Amino acid sequence: MTDTAQTPARDPLPLRVVRRLANSRELTLFILVLALAGVMAAVYPANFPTASNMRAVLLNLAPVGILVCGMMLLMIGGTFDLSCGSTLALAGVWAGVVAAPGWLDLGPWAGVAAGLLVGAVAGLINGLIVTRIGINALIATLGTLTIYRGLTYVTAGTGVTPISDEFAAFGRVTDPVMGIQSLFWVMLIVALGGGWLIARTRFFRQYYFIGGNARAAQLSGIRVDRLILLGFVLMGILAGLAGVLYAARLNSAVVNAGVGIELKVITATVLGGASLKGGEGTIFGGIMGVLFIALVENAMIINSVGVFWQGIVVGLVLLFAVSLDRFKTPGRS
Amino acid sequence: MVARVEVIGLSRSFPGVVALDNVDLSVEPGEIRALLGENGAGKSTLGKIVAGIHPPSAGSVRIDGVAVQIADERAAGAMGIGIVHQEGSLVPQLSVAENIFAGRQPVGRLGQVRVADMRARAAALIAQLGVTIDPGGRVADLSPAQCQIVEIAKALSRDLKILILDEPTAALTLTETDRLFEVVRKLAAEGVSVIYVSHRLAEIFALCHRVSVLKDGRLAGTRDVAATTPDELIRLMVGRDVHLRRSDMSHTPGRLVLEAAHVAAGAMVRDASVKVHAGEIVCLAGLIGSGRSEFCETIFGARRQEGGLVRIDGRNYRAGGTWDAKAAGIGMVPEDRKTAGLFLGMDLVNNIAATVLDKVSDGARFSEAKAVRLAESFVAEMRISTPSVRQVVGNLSGGNQQKVLLAKWLAMEPKLLIVDEPTRGVDVGARAEIYRLLRDLAAKGVALLIVSSDLPEVLALADRIIVMAEGRTVGELPGASATEEDVLRLATKFTASVADVRATAGVAA
Repeated sequence: MTDTAQTPARDPLPLRVVRRLANSRELTLFILVLALAGVMAAVYPANFPTASNMRAVLLNLAPVGILVCGMMLLMIGGTFDLSCGSTLALAGVWAGVVAAPGWLDLGPWAGVAAGLLVGAVAGLINGLIVTRIGINALIATLGTLTIYRGLTYVTAGTGVTPISDEFAAFGRVTDPVMGIQSLFWVMLIVALGGGWLIARTRFFRQYYFIGGNARAAQLSGIRVDRLILLGFVLMGILAGLAGVLYAARLNSAVVNAGVGIELKVITATVLGGASLKGGEGTIFGGIMGVLFIALVENAMIINSVGVFWQGIVVGLVLLFAVSLDRFKTPGRS
Repeated sequence: MVARVEVIGLSRSFPGVVALDNVDLSVEPGEIRALLGENGAGKSTLGKIVAGIHPPSAGSVRIDGVAVQIADERAAGAMGIGIVHQEGSLVPQLSVAENIFAGRQPVGRLGQVRVADMRARAAALIAQLGVTIDPGGRVADLSPAQCQIVEIAKALSRDLKILILDEPTAALTLTETDRLFEVVRKLAAEGVSVIYVSHRLAEIFALCHRVSVLKDGRLAGTRDVAATTPDELIRLMVGRDVHLRRSDMSHTPGRLVLEAAHVAAGAMVRDASVKVHAGEIVCLAGLIGSGRSEFCETIFGARRQEGGLVRIDGRNYRAGGTWDAKAAGIGMVPEDRKTAGLFLGMDLVNNIAATVLDKVSDGARFSEAKAVRLAESFVAEMRISTPSVRQVVGNLSGGNQQKVLLAKWLAMEPKLLIVDEPTRGVDVGARAEIYRLLRDLAAKGVALLIVSSDLPEVLALADRIIVMAEGRTVGELPGASATEEDVLRLATKFTASVADVRATAGVAA
């Protein structure tokens, strides 16, 4: 091979820095998150680095963070789920219906179980449509997005309020040191556990092969359909988990919970290094994406920039991050 | 006489590699000029510069003595330069006719495409190549060989002065190749200059007038085909002697590993039987569309078996999926390494680990260290040239990609290895190494079932040759004494012409 012997001319420093950053989205985001937090802490020492602000930021990003873990797995495998926000609401409402004294009154644990089960079933249906019927994931989950939301309305009309104090306790329990509610800690456990599983285990490594080249994966003896199906079920369970805890925290199952959250989740996942073609991404990157978006939003609130501007800034950040890919170290053509 | 094409001091570099380095070359009107060289020697790049696909980094191109700047492929087309790509310039969702006349469809007064007219012209162009392909059918439904034929028809659809053919026969059978040669000779007789990029020596001797050999981006020499020998050309190409000659099996085959009897699967596999012993190389020969690949895919579990019986080591076996085949000790190297074989965006480590995830893991944990060690052992053993095992496989040359693909399956230590087209798009040097590897495998007791459309390859490798036609196994020949004619006679056993075989096998539809 001729090119191995050559030492390519060293690029100028700025280009090398851009390359290094472009090659690792996680690193880019990590630096951006630190920089943004540092600047905010310096400019608004009274508002930004306070315990109550941090608690609010972390608690708000938690449902998105839980969903990002599932979405990252699906996107590594080359697919995605638009219905996760509707699944979240449907699971929350079913948890409320099962647990609330005014409804089925089967107790708080039954409510949690019902929520998770509904999430799993919703995911299973998505997975079956995609793998068995062979409908493209965009269309399939766009369909179930409206179906699951519709089922939520049909089930509970305007929602289940209040559910019960025992059920609410699941969402309101806080840790003794930092005083952050369970939703955040559950997200942290899911992210750490999921991050390890996806990065380190041979089972989840198979998703990278599927996303890299599904046909080659199948011809390598990997059970592509079965794994994609499982990915959708896991996504559904995570959406159910987020829905249950969200409902518990409010002691109210809201029928329009999670409206539009799927786009935020996909934004964070892509920002965190996933590719729509599949085969790339890490949970750590996805969580960094969530954290970065949460910080940008928080910074804008503290700066009292209008709510309407948040979407514009987040969109611009996404486009900027993805366009960095153009500077990735080029391969030999 | 003024040269039809003349390139002077042509250079072209891509990031990290110089593909062409100061090449001078001229081709006369009516000449068929071969460009020969290993993969990565720059022959495709040279063709692409003349066709306007890449601009040169330095140097100039003259057409009929006039220096030209060719902006893009369309501009080249207007100058009468046509190119047939090595792979995929077709839009799979569109029809054959639409592809052939892409951007130049015959239109009526309102600008509407005259579909019937276009299809008739497409059918005539394809018929010229001696094949029947429905011009209204979608390209996505065609086999790689049929796609190649459509590519050629597309180039022929223009009024040409210069035709560049880049590995046009990689996916073609012998008969189709002969037809293509007739067409090329006819074009040359009409004054068209043909640049024929290939690394198949036999074709160059059969077709071309002169041959220019490229090595590492430089012109290694130009010879008159009549006055040179294969050995001389190979020396120019690789700088060393390479032997492609048959070496007979030095051991006796062992136990019966694969026994497939009367296997049926869909329209393409109707009644196929084969036996392969440990340490034996059995080649499946036949025309494209005869069901060889499909038969292999059925054994491997990638296609549903509908009838017949398969035994592995004497035990009945029916694969529900590729994972069952893998568990039974069967590996399959697929025909199309880019779309079905490799994970082009991933590194060697992950590609080689893909079939043996359990071997490179400690319990549930994927062990990077073990995977790297496995990949490194194969890089050394198979002489894969790569800067590191962390190199992305898409950046390797064709021959090295093929070795990685083989390594991926050797890693699982199969008792039966099916290899579909072991050397497609692989240069002569790497080809010899792949043959050596396959023979070594057989010597170690692996049963090998090889599909190949390259008859010299079949005759050089096979201990036994099984010929398929129309989805049926129609005969067996001993590898040591069979000739190309014997194989072809069996392959066309049922029908008089290739086109008939296609039509009945349901390929053309």
